[in-house]
Amino acid sequence: MNAQSAMNTYVKEIGGWVASQLEACTRCGLCASACHFYQVTDNVEYAPVWKVEPLRRAYQQRFTPAGRLRLALGLDKPVTDEDLKHWSTIVFQACTICNKCAHVCPMGIQLGPLIHDVRAGMAAAGLVPADLRAATAKQDEVGSPLGVTDGAWAERMDWIAEEWEVDIPKDQKGADTLVVFTSIELMKFPDNIAAVAKIMAKAGEKWTVSSKGREVVNFGYFEADEALTIKFMARVFDAAKELGVKRIVISECGHAYDAFRWTAPNIMDVPKGVEVTHIVRAIYDFWKAGRIKLKKGAYDGATVTFHDSCKIQRRGGHIKEPREILDWLAPQAFKEMSPAREQSMCCGGGGGVISIKEADPLRFAVFGLKVEQMKQIGAKAVCMVCSNCRLQFTDGVAHFKADVQVRGLTDMVSKAME
Amino acid sequence: MDWTAILQFFRGPFFKISLLVFVGGMTYRLVRILLLGWKRDKVPSRGSKTVGVVKTYLKGLLVLPFIPWVRRTFTPNALTYIGGGLFHLSLVAVVLFATPHVLVWKSLLGFGWPTLPFPVSDWFAAIGIVALVILLVNRLTHPVLKLITKAPLFWNWALTFLPFVTGYMMTHHLGFRYEVLYSLHIISVDVLLIWIPFSRISHFLFYFFSRTFHGAQAGKRAINP
Repeated sequence: MNAQSAMNTYVKEIGGWVASQLEACTRCGLCASACHFYQVTDNVEYAPVWKVEPLRRAYQQRFTPAGRLRLALGLDKPVTDEDLKHWSTIVFQACTICNKCAHVCPMGIQLGPLIHDVRAGMAAAGLVPADLRAATAKQDEVGSPLGVTDGAWAERMDWIAEEWEVDIPKDQKGADTLVVFTSIELMKFPDNIAAVAKIMAKAGEKWTVSSKGREVVNFGYFEADEALTIKFMARVFDAAKELGVKRIVISECGHAYDAFRWTAPNIMDVPKGVEVTHIVRAIYDFWKAGRIKLKKGAYDGATVTFHDSCKIQRRGGHIKEPREILDWLAPQAFKEMSPAREQSMCCGGGGGVISIKEADPLRFAVFGLKVEQMKQIGAKAVCMVCSNCRLQFTDGVAHFKADVQVRGLTDMVSKAME
Repeated sequence: MDWTAILQFFRGPFFKISLLVFVGGMTYRLVRILLLGWKRDKVPSRGSKTVGVVKTYLKGLLVLPFIPWVRRTFTPNALTYIGGGLFHLSLVAVVLFATPHVLVWKSLLGFGWPTLPFPVSDWFAAIGIVALVILLVNRLTHPVLKLITKAPLFWNWALTFLPFVTGYMMTHHLGFRYEVLYSLHIISVDVLLIWIPFSRISHFLFYFFSRTFHGAQAGKRAINP
């Protein structure tokens, strides 16, 4: 039975960390207004507190004496397959796990990670939306959620190297840095890969890509299926060990960064002494160390703004790096959206939402808020360091016919190098 | 009815029982959570967890209650913020600093502390009552709260409201004889004390868990909590 496997997953997940936070909730409902999905739809079921409800019920009915008693007496109904199906659409289509709600909660409850735990139950119960499941299966079987095979990957990399006249070292033993890209960059934003190659060359970094650990996106992590999450990350970690690199640079995928940087050490063995960082940090370090020189004011034309990605900025911590770079590249033209930084509004495409066709109307509706934010400051261009956000922005800007150019910060940096 | 005897019972032996249930119950809740198992966080930090924790408490106590719009959730939740904020302020002022209550604390702990002048604590009590009414109206009308509110939350409200109202009536000699109101006040406090461990009013304990996690998570990532 579906409900049973979901409940068992929840029981496994519930330790002091989860339980104490569920106990701390005062049912004040403030989290709702932090959620962009609630803001644009007024659908009360999109309140983060309600998204955690299956986990809360599992806790109450399996762990607390009062809950057990109520269940035994028939005062509470057990969680049914129907309930879970219903919540599956809520937690997968109307949540990007952007964790803004945690910053609004007066108790500081980490709602994002708790909703991730709710998703894990759905994954165990086989209730992941079909589109997301299909992409995960592709990543499992072929190695890429977009179905890029080993051969296609190598060909595409060669094509990028040729087209942009850059050097992309493959499987170089003895390299210091392993850069892992996303299939989105490979197929939709190849300019980003070329930009990274240019920057690495200019900085004189000994770097490589790996044909074994070639996909940084982690659809297992979107689903919250822990076994798959580990499996997909192990491909990269194994490649890093084999190549003997000192660090892994995660390219533009927020969820992947969250998985590699902030989750992996807690759920699997990670290679010792291998640092994991994000490409924006690597670029920032090159720049600060004087290994690359950037033209001051290179983009000081039309107003440009920066979109904070939920997993790279709010959950990743790289808030100041892109800003310092932009303050240098566009000291006059760079303007902040409001709210920004830790309080920024997520693009609406993260957490796997963008891969679920059925969720399209929702993610576009949410993106409307982003369009408004950009309009408020008269932004003519917006840049970011997450290719998933960039895909959502590209789609969204087209959908709303907004007059905003969508760019990758990495690409901007590569073109401003002296 | 012999209200003096009733009063003696509820402020004497029964109060002790209530306190015992309260302390025992909360201890049970705490120990149960602590025993559920904790995993050590093996993720290398970018910043200092301690700094994050200190920041989040300072912000939570000194900044957010006074300028709640920094989170941009104030406007759609004005009643929650105003009602919740004023209620907690009044709770601290009345329970910890009203003269009769400090005497109770002194008898329990053996030491007391300076108290608020009567008119001040009296106003705080009135504010607390108004705040609770605001919160009730809010809970009955806010669409999200309607979804997530179940019967026990109304019990929480009623059992918190009664000590406030009876205390206020008693100090102003409203309605009934003094001993009657005094007895009702004490009884309502006893009942509340017994109820707290079974309810979400216990959030004052778990607040320290979730706040600390939030601060640590932010500190670890070197962002502002």
